[in-house]
Amino acid sequence: MGTFHDTRDPLHGITVAAVMGDTVTVGRCHERTAGSVVLVDADQHTEGEGGKTNAEYLSRAARFGVWKKHDRLELDAAALTSLAPLKDYFSSTGGTVVPKESAPPPPEAGTAEPQTESSSPVSLTPAAVAEVARLLAAEEKPDHGLRLGVAGGGCSGLTYQLEFTPRREGDLVISQDGFSIFLDRKSVIYLRGVSLDFEKGLGGKGFRFGNPNATNTCGCGESFAV
Amino acid sequence: MPYPEQMVAPMRAELTSSGIQELRSPDEVDTFFRDGSGLSLLLVNSVCGCAAGSARPAILQAMEHGKRPQRFATVFAGQDLEATARARELMGDVPPSSPSVAVFRDQELVHFMPRHLIEGRSPEEIAGDLTAAFDTLCS
Repeated sequence: MGTFHDTRDPLHGITVAAVMGDTVTVGRCHERTAGSVVLVDADQHTEGEGGKTNAEYLSRAARFGVWKKHDRLELDAAALTSLAPLKDYFSSTGGTVVPKESAPPPPEAGTAEPQTESSSPVSLTPAAVAEVARLLAAEEKPDHGLRLGVAGGGCSGLTYQLEFTPRREGDLVISQDGFSIFLDRKSVIYLRGVSLDFEKGLGGKGFRFGNPNATNTCGCGESFAV
Repeated sequence: MPYPEQMVAPMRAELTSSGIQELRSPDEVDTFFRDGSGLSLLLVNSVCGCAAGSARPAILQAMEHGKRPQRFATVFAGQDLEATARARELMGDVPPSSPSVAVFRDQELVHFMPRHLIEGRSPEEIAGDLTAAFDTLCS
């Protein structure tokens, strides 16, 4: 099996394409901070360079990789318009694929203020909102919110986590109908597009995750009884 | 600079113990491609745990597939430098990438999986992509 750097940023060691203005940089992501993105073994292409558009350059890069021209490049994170794994541009037909979303921001060490997003990566159905609000009210712990996350394990490789906790450092915080949703940074990439529903019925009641990005799911990992 | 041989020996053995031929010199690369025809798979091995650590078991899984290349070989990037350089000459204008997987028909490169399609993925996912390619190439 591979050796994965659990303590590092999810993009560490991953070949990415970073778009900044009319320049695309492809390289292996070494480090991300709030201010910069460091790529190693990198190549850069500017729109029209060598008679190729950026889309044509990315299409070939995604199929075959790039010729290294820079051992190390440090990019201004604030100037990037997108940052995504190069494999997300891959199309088996050879065409160019535009990644659906840029990678989530890097974890920020020592963040004093919670990070918030106006466009939430997760959504809750009205039934889920009502049940979470009811349970939080019953807990009578005003600093608690709904924590959603993922962890390794389960039949399909990842399992969802749902609990009520206080905010932790580095959390992404989402305001939702009077309560807060906390997402740890490492889980955000897996939770984008996920919906949380609450079902009542003959089959019992419980929270149920829906994930449009999942390629494989199992019944036992989907539903959480409370 | 190559790593100590005792460190990489298990990474070689993971492949050679399953019948994958290791090519340690340019001559061995030339001989492998000169003496065989049909589909051949060449894994450019690497010490990188994040990517090669998944690529090696993926190759072993893909070898179990019904449709597959007739011959499997490997060169070790960063270790057997001259053999790897010779193998890369056969890949034309494809940029160096390790680990990577190249499939040749005779001496012509017909399929290539660069590192960025390996890293961060499970052996099962990588093997799935390889066997899909085998199905196309062997049809």
